[in-house]
Amino acid sequence: MTSRTAREPRRFGVPSLSAMAGYLPLVIFVCLLGYLSVVSSNFLTFPTFDLILRQAVPTTIVCLGLSIVVMAGGDDVVSGGIDLSIPAVAVLAAAIIADQLTNHAASLAVALPLALMAALLVGAVNAMLVVRIGMTPLLATLSTSVAVVGIVKVVTSSRRINVDHPAVVWLRDGTIGGVSSGVVLTLVFFGVFFFIAHRTRWGLNLQAVGGSRDAAEVSGIPVSRFVALSFIIAGFAGGLAAMFILARGSGSTPGTEENLLLEMVLATFLGSAFSPRRVVTLWGAILGAVLVSALSIGFKSIGVNVFWTGCIKGALILIVVASASLSAKFDRRKTAI
Amino acid sequence: MKKSITSGLQLLAFCVAASTSAATSSLADGHLTLEGKKIGVAVVGTQHFWDREAFNGALDTVKKLGGEPVPVDGGRDNQVHADNHDILLNNKVDAVISILGDGAVEPKFEALKTAGIPVFTVDHLSPHGINNTTSDNYYMGTTIGRYMADAIGGKGRVAIFNAFEGALRICGIRSGLWKYVLQDYPQIEIIQPELAEAFANAPEDARKKTLDLLNQHPKGSLDAIHVGCWDQPAIGVVQALEEAGRTEVKVTALDGGPETLEIMAEENSPFVANVAQQPRKIGATAAMNAARFFAGETLLPQTFVEVKPVNGPEEAKAVYKELGYGELK
Repeated sequence: MTSRTAREPRRFGVPSLSAMAGYLPLVIFVCLLGYLSVVSSNFLTFPTFDLILRQAVPTTIVCLGLSIVVMAGGDDVVSGGIDLSIPAVAVLAAAIIADQLTNHAASLAVALPLALMAALLVGAVNAMLVVRIGMTPLLATLSTSVAVVGIVKVVTSSRRINVDHPAVVWLRDGTIGGVSSGVVLTLVFFGVFFFIAHRTRWGLNLQAVGGSRDAAEVSGIPVSRFVALSFIIAGFAGGLAAMFILARGSGSTPGTEENLLLEMVLATFLGSAFSPRRVVTLWGAILGAVLVSALSIGFKSIGVNVFWTGCIKGALILIVVASASLSAKFDRRKTAI
Repeated sequence: MKKSITSGLQLLAFCVAASTSAATSSLADGHLTLEGKKIGVAVVGTQHFWDREAFNGALDTVKKLGGEPVPVDGGRDNQVHADNHDILLNNKVDAVISILGDGAVEPKFEALKTAGIPVFTVDHLSPHGINNTTSDNYYMGTTIGRYMADAIGGKGRVAIFNAFEGALRICGIRSGLWKYVLQDYPQIEIIQPELAEAFANAPEDARKKTLDLLNQHPKGSLDAIHVGCWDQPAIGVVQALEEAGRTEVKVTALDGGPETLEIMAEENSPFVANVAQQPRKIGATAAMNAARFFAGETLLPQTFVEVKPVNGPEEAKAVYKELGYGELK
C-alpha cells in the first residue's frame, strides 16, 4: 500500500499488472460469494441481505473511523495511518454505558456523554503519542488498545453487564421505514463522515495530508493538526459504535473487541480494492464491512467450521495486504521504466 | 400353599411391572423421530471438552433420529454464538438446540419463538425455551460446598473465581448454593473481591490471576481456591500453585472432564474435589426432548441429568472409568 498524490490517467485495453494485483482480493471475494450463492439456497434472499446489513453495523462504524485515520496518515500499514485501538475504545464506551445504565441506574443522557468523552480521550492520547512523541501509529495504537482492554476489565470486573434500556432495544429491534434502525443510523453516520471527508475544504486537506505529507506541508496545511484530529475522530467513531455493540449483544460482554478488530482491518483494507486508485475510502470501507459480514454469514450457512472461517479471514487479510504491496511494486517498476 | 400363591402373584406382578416398564421405555424412545426435520444446533464453542461433548451428543442424536442437523459454533465468543441464532432463523430450521450462551441469546430465542421455531436449551434456562436440559446444579453447588469445607477442616480463607454468577443462571445456582453451604461454616471467610476468570483462554488467564493472588496472600493466609461454575480455570490454578510451591492450597471446581479428573488423580494433587457432569448425555437428551416435543409429548421445563460427585484421587479414578474415559493408574 502506498500513497498516491495524483489521480492516474484512465487507461483502456489490457489492464496493467498493478491493476490486476489491486483487484485480486475483490475477485476472490466475488468468487467466494458466488460459490456461497450456489451452495446455499437461501443466500441470495432479502432476509439474508437484511441480516448481513444488521450484523455489519458495528464493523461499519469502526471502519469509518479507521478510514479517516488512513486517509490522513497515508495507507502504508507500517508508517502510515492506522488505529488498532478503535474496537477496544468501542468496547470501553459500551462497558461505561452498560455500567452506568445497569449498575448505577444512570440515565442515557449521563451515560452516553461519559462514554463519548472516554472515547475522545483515548483518541487524544493516540494523537499525542503519534504527533507529539512521534511513535508509529501501529505501535502507539496497539499499546493503547491493550491498555484500554485493561480498563474495560476494571470497569466491568471482567463480567457481562446486561442492558435492557429502551434506546438499546430500539437500536436492536426497531425499524425506520421498514429498515433496521441500526442500519439507517449507520447510513446517516456514513453520510456525515462522507460529507466531511469529501465535500468540505477540511476533508480535502485531510486527504492531501495523507496523499503526500511533504506536499501538504509545502502548501501550508498544518499536517500534525490533521493527523491528530483524525485519531480523535477515530476515537469518536469508537464511541458511536458502542451503542450498536450494546444493541447487538443486549449488553456488554468482555472480549467483543477481538472479532471486531479482525473484521475492521479486513473490511477497511479490502475496501481499497473498490477504489480506482486502490486507496482506503469511506465507500470502500462500508462495502468492505458488508462483504465481510456476508462472508461470515455465508460460511456459517453452509456449515463451515468456525476455525476455518477465522483462518480464511486471516488469509484474506494477507491477500489484501500482499496484493496492495504487489500493486505498488508494479507501479514503481512501471514508473522506473 | 397360600404362601406359594402369594409368592407366585408377587412374581407375576413383578414380571408385569418389569415388562410394562420395559415397554414404556421402548415406547418412550422407539417412536421418537426427527425424520424430515432440520434441527439447528448452536454451541458457544468447541474448544472445551464439555462444550464439544454436549454439541456432539446433540448432533449424533439428531442424526440417529433421522433429522438433518445444522451446526453453528460460536468459537467461544458469546456474541458470535448469539448472532448464530439469526442464521438458524434465516435457514428456516424446524427447531433449535442451543448450548450455553449468556444474556445476548435471549432476544434471539424470542425471535425464534415468534417465528414458531421451538428452542431447546442446554444449561441456559430461558422463558423463551420449551425445555432446558442441564445437570442437577442445585446438588452440584451444595455438594462442592460441603466437600471444600471438609477439605480445609471447616475453617480458613478461600478465594472464588466467579465471573458468571450474574450472567448465567446455572452459575448463579452453583456458586449461590456453594455460598449457602458456607453460611454454616462461620470460620470460613470468602476473600473479597471475588476473582473473575476469562471466558476464552481460561486456564492461562486463571494461572496469571492465581499467581497474583498468591503474592497478595502469603502462605498461611489462603486455604482454598474454588472455581464457581466450571473447571477449565482450575487447570491454570493448579499450574500456578505448583509453580509457586503452594500446593498446600486446596482446589475445588465443577464439571469433571477427563483432563481435570486426570489432574485430581495425580499423587498429592491440590485439586481435591469436583462434581462430574455427563455432557454427551446432556446434549443427547436435549435432542431426544426435541423429538418428544414433535411427538406431542408434554415436557417439563427442565430435564436434569445425573452428576457424579468426586471427592479425592480414588474417586477421580473411579469416575474416570465409570464415565468411559479410560483407566487411570
